[in-house]
Amino acid sequence: MNQAVALAQRALREALRTPEALLPTLFIPLFFLVVNVGQVAEIFPSGTSFLEGQNYAAFQLPSSILLAASFGSAALFLVEDIEGGYFDKLRAAPVSRTAIVLGRLAAEAVKSFAITTAMVLVSVPFGVSIASGPLGFVLLLVLTSAWAVVFSGFMQLIALKSRSAAATNSGSLIFFPLLFLTPNFVPRDLLSRPMEIAATFNPVTYIMEGLRSLILDDFEWAPIGRGFVVVAVLGVLMVVLNVRMIRNYD
Amino acid sequence: MPAAVEAHQLVKHYSGRGGTVEAVRGVDLEVATGEVFGFLGPNGAGKSTTVKMLTTLMSITSGSARVAGVDVAADPDGARRRIGVALQEAGLDPRQTGRELLVLQARLFGSSTSAAAERAGELLELVDLVEAADRRIKGYSGGMRRRLDLASALVHEPEVLFLDEPTTGLDPASRLTVWDEMRRINGRGTTVFLTTQYLEEADQLCDRLAIIDDGRIVREGTPAELKSELRGRRGLDADPTLDEVFLDATGRTRERSAGDVQEVQA
Repeated sequence: MNQAVALAQRALREALRTPEALLPTLFIPLFFLVVNVGQVAEIFPSGTSFLEGQNYAAFQLPSSILLAASFGSAALFLVEDIEGGYFDKLRAAPVSRTAIVLGRLAAEAVKSFAITTAMVLVSVPFGVSIASGPLGFVLLLVLTSAWAVVFSGFMQLIALKSRSAAATNSGSLIFFPLLFLTPNFVPRDLLSRPMEIAATFNPVTYIMEGLRSLILDDFEWAPIGRGFVVVAVLGVLMVVLNVRMIRNYD
Repeated sequence: MPAAVEAHQLVKHYSGRGGTVEAVRGVDLEVATGEVFGFLGPNGAGKSTTVKMLTTLMSITSGSARVAGVDVAADPDGARRRIGVALQEAGLDPRQTGRELLVLQARLFGSSTSAAAERAGELLELVDLVEAADRRIKGYSGGMRRRLDLASALVHEPEVLFLDEPTTGLDPASRLTVWDEMRRINGRGTTVFLTTQYLEEADQLCDRLAIIDDGRIVREGTPAELKSELRGRRGLDADPTLDEVFLDATGRTRERSAGDVQEVQA
């Protein structure tokens, strides 16, 4: 555990010392939030039933939060470690392979906590509130951070397999189908049938619905629970696959 | 006392697009405790692959290796606790300061935060980087990076120190500084396993050396023994240089070595 903490601290220092990688993680999702709300808010005024009395920005916020949590910049830092030889330095030390994986992923979780908090705070003046209250806000942070861990874990798998920044960058493109084959603009039951089927098979749908429920509803445990189950299963899978890949890394 | 490094019929095969590559084809080595052992060979001969197997960074296709008495395949963490590794690429994180890097390395080897800070201070003094300790590594010169890399390999006072081409790319002054450090480390009882392409370096520093070519050991002995053997075999009037021993052992001419282009797959 101490090793994982030490490596997480190092990964956080790395992130703080690279603001050029950190700031887009906040500003690009906020840009999408403003643009999407600006384009669609007139169609879905506050009285729309699925907005539960809030405005469309509250409905869109989970998409932007998930986009912010899906930059996976940790994987690019990992590629730098591999290319620069620092990864071999870590592997040559008696460090638990699980600690190597958890260190980076824990730092991603902390970063996501901070960025999500900032995004929610920025959206408050635009009429967004968290209907589930302070506990709901904490659950929203945890669920988002858990997704950040899952996505970073996936990106790290690409980094470890390819050992290439270009391939890792290309791998991040998978987020576009993951984000957009979801009930991104309207609830799932209003999607066309093919899109609804695609969204049903997309794990991000359940995380988005969980987050949306925390923002719009006063604790509806079914969607929240589904979101947490999805990130828990995927999170364990990603950690196991990452550890196995580092153990077999030649 | 067990040998510091022992390898028996060490083999490494890679599966590449062009088929199987036999990078190391049955290397036998024995390095005594306290020695500075030189491991020489042309590019692509299998030096770095052998070092990576000995340092647990690469799996062993067949054969066995023990470092400080520990089987590297059966107990890799046990081996890692006894070795220090400074590879060809100085494995440093440019966004951290020298001190942060050493503290982290010491913590990874099990030191408490305060003990790690104390050890980092000692090492920074040892490699003469106290003034630069709190600057980010990305601003360090090549020589400073090498010295820091060396220090990071020493945080846990290893029994065996593996140095893979530690002076490649350094200016003469920095190279001499690294040599001094190496002598000082060896003087404290640490066995040094040094791979290098600089034969003068091997001649200056190594008690014994082995030359690897095409994945096999082709010469082994003290520099004096190897020179004397070549002198006797060729009937030379004076001892040859280590360069001549190297060229003889690898079957290369100066012209061929200079123009060699090899594909190295890892």
